[in-house]
Formats: sequence, C-alpha cells, structure tokens
Amino acid sequence: MPAQQEEVFEKVRTCLVDALGVDDDEVTPEATMVGDLGAESIDFLDIVFRLEKTFNIKIPRGELFPEDILSNAQYVQDGKVTPEGIEQLKKRMPFADLTKFESDPRVTSFGNMLTVQDLVNYVQSKLP
Amino acid sequence: MRFKLLDRIVDLKAGVSITAVKGLTLAEDYLADHFPLFPVLPGVFMLEAMSQASAWLIRATEDFQHSIVVLREARNVKYADFVAPGQMLTVQAEIVTEAERETKLRVQGAVDGKTNVTARLVMVRYNLADGWPSRASTDAHIIRQMREQFHVLYRPCTSRSGHYENGSVASSVLAANRAPR
Amino acid sequence: MRWFWIDRFTEFQSGRSATAIKTVALSEDHLHDHFPGAAIMPNSLVLEGMAQTAGLLVCEHGGFAKQVILAKVSKAMFHCDAWPGDTLTYKAQIHDIKEDGAMATVTSHIGDRLQAELEVFFAHLEQLSSSGEKVELFVPYDLFSWLRLLKLYEVGRDAEGKPLAIHPRMAESDPFLANQPANAT
Repeated sequence: MPAQQEEVFEKVRTCLVDALGVDDDEVTPEATMVGDLGAESIDFLDIVFRLEKTFNIKIPRGELFPEDILSNAQYVQDGKVTPEGIEQLKKRMPFADLTKFESDPRVTSFGNMLTVQDLVNYVQSKLP
Repeated sequence: MRFKLLDRIVDLKAGVSITAVKGLTLAEDYLADHFPLFPVLPGVFMLEAMSQASAWLIRATEDFQHSIVVLREARNVKYADFVAPGQMLTVQAEIVTEAERETKLRVQGAVDGKTNVTARLVMVRYNLADGWPSRASTDAHIIRQMREQFHVLYRPCTSRSGHYENGSVASSVLAANRAPR
Repeated sequence: MRWFWIDRFTEFQSGRSATAIKTVALSEDHLHDHFPGAAIMPNSLVLEGMAQTAGLLVCEHGGFAKQVILAKVSKAMFHCDAWPGDTLTYKAQIHDIKEDGAMATVTSHIGDRLQAELEVFFAHLEQLSSSGEKVELFVPYDLFSWLRLLKLYEVGRDAEGKPLAIHPRMAESDPFLANQPANAT
C-alpha cells in the first residue's frame, strides 16, 4: 500500500476502533462493515462524524451509506435493488466495488458488501 | 422510587453469565417525565438494568466479598428500540475478562426476542473499609442486605422432586456452577 | 422520582456549549437503595444528567422543533463516585449537529476533580420511527416549564452572544405569553 494510503488506512482504523469498539487487528482492508465489524445504522452516523473530524472533510448525507437509495421504492423491488438502483449506487459510490453486490442485490446484504478498503478509498477521493 | 431495575434473575452461571428480567409498568412515576406523550424506559435505565445484572453476577461469583459494585466504564452502548409499558426487558450479561477489582462484560437487552440494546461494560468492586477502616461495619451491613435481596431475586422454581427450593439456594448454585479459576 | 437529572444551567451558548449542575442530596429516595448505609449516586444517573445537558443544547439549536433522543454512548468513563453533599458540574460541548443527529462530549467534575467523561450521539426521533408516524415526546408547555426551571432563558446566550430569546414554539405554548404584544417578549 502506498505511504499516503497507509496513513489514511491507519486513521480510518482508529475511527472504526473508536466507533465500533472492535480491536485493531479486526480492522483489515477486507473486513466488511456490517458482517465482520458489527456496524449498525447508528454506528454509520458515528463513523461519519469521526471521519469528518479526522480528515477535515465533509460527507454529505447518503454519500457514504446510501440509505435513501436503499429505501426508495423506485430503486427497490421485492427486497432487491433494481438495475436502475444499481446505476444510482454506482454513481453515488464510485469508490466501492459493487460487482459482488450486483450478483446478489438484496438490500439486506448491502451492508455486508461495504468493506474497510471501500471506506479508505472514499476518504482518499475526498482528500485534496 | 426503589432503585431496583431488575425483577427476577432467571439464570445464573457463576463466573460466566446471568439472565434477568425487568418489566416496565406505567405505575413507575418517572415515566410521567420520560416522556409525557411517549412513556418509555429511559436509555440509562436500560443501562442500569444491565449494570445491576452484571453486579449480581459478580457478587454471586465472588460470594459477596465486596459491598460496592458499580459501573466504571460503558462503551458502545447502542439503543435500537424502546421498551414500552407492559413490555419485559430480558437482560443478559457475559463475563469477558476478570481482574482483581474490575470485570469486563458483554451485555444486551431484548424485548420479545428482539435485541434493543447492546453494550460493553466494566464494573468495579470495592469495600468502604479499603479507604476508611472504620466503615467495615457498613460493608457488612450492605453485604447482608445484598445477600437478602439476591435470595428474593433469584428463586429457581422447582427441584427434580417438584418441590420449591429456597433458603441457601445461592450457595448450592455457587458450589455446583463455580467455574475453575 | 422526577426525571430531572440536572438542577439548572449556569452557562448556555446556543449551538456550542453548556454547563449545568446537579447537587446530590440524601433526601433522594433512590440513594437509600444504592446502597443501604452508603449513599452513592448511580453512575447511570450521572450519565443521564450529562446527556440532558448536551441533549437540550442539541434541541435548542433546532428551536425545540425536533424530538431529540439518546441513540448511542460511544464511551462513558467514571473515575470516582459522587456522594451526598457533592455538586456535580456537567460541561457539554457540541461537536457537530447534522440532519440525522448530533455528537457531543461532556465532562463531570466535583470541584476540580474529574468525575466522569462521556462521548454521546443523539438522533432525531423521526429518523428512528419504524411506523413512520410523527412522535411527539412533550406537550410544548411541559418542555417550556422544564426549560424555565433550568433557568435556560436567564443564562442562555444565542450565537451572537445576546441573551437567548424565548423560542416561538415555547412562547406559543404559554397562554400568558401568547396573549402578550409581540415586543413584550
């Protein structure tokens, strides 16, 4: 990992350890936010606050955790995100790798797709 | 108000875990302020119920060696839902690690099987006599009261013969369940 | 037991910080269970006082229009116990307020001694209501009565440092104030 990304990863890890109460060694790049680290919706707010403070960035509502798309009847049918919804997610989250989610686009599994690396990529994209 | 946030201890494995329940009734007077139009168990009382369950587990495990068992740290206390009057909060605490005076626990509360609060707690225990030797008799008094309260809270219902067991149930439970240290 | 875990504000800077005090008194019933013969203020109630200090700051920032509730305690640490005769001083700082909720840190001191520290998140109730119904917590007049008991409008300062004006939603709830000419409030 290049030096700057390593530094970003370390700081993101500190934020996640503080927000989620997990141990340092549980926060690996591949760890999923919900499945591995146990994040719940109130934790997402906590994580947003900490990332903003740590990196001096602004994270608009829904940019990191797109709850508005996932709860929009226009983009969700029978608990699955429609192709149109997937397009919206891709536009909103260029930092995330959505290929796995596309093959099983259940809303309930979305949180399990987002990894620590996705978070690191997102933060990097916001840095000058 | 009596500061007893648990109604019954349902299960206890010394050194390991405890399950207890707290029923919420509209008769609890603080509900008139929390909140006037939406009476619900205050979040800190969900925390207090979990702390008290943890304290009973610690007291039973060490056979009431210390009078004071209080909350030292609470981390990641997450509230997912409310407890409304008429509902029963089932509280569970599991010991994660034990030190000389501090115990780390993982705790949660649930209503009808659905978790509505989780937390990690650190409880600390001490005797007043540790700081003020003259207060040893107060420690003894508190410990006596705690033992009596424990017998009221924890009443395993029947023995194999179908008779109601009471009296020194706590000591026999301890003897049977005490995990090797 | 009334659910008032601060006695009054001593400082209040809208949207930024507030200081409140809580005196611990032997006349409080619950202290005689916690514990019999050694009355110690339960730390869960210290936490509630700290949360009320910060929560009212968040509420006031929104003109008391949104319902604010405790959603998460990231970290609460208690360094010593509070006893009858102690006065706890709670100092709350808002870190950020967003549409979904707010984050604050609060300290509790007994004199110069740090008694507790808290990092806490509040959510706006409508974000959490699964039924989608709008839930009200307070009759506005009850909330207004509480704010007056806490002397909010006597010590409060707005963002420009001017004395805090009574919020329209609170003034409307009071039949006496609602009948006053506009410039009397």
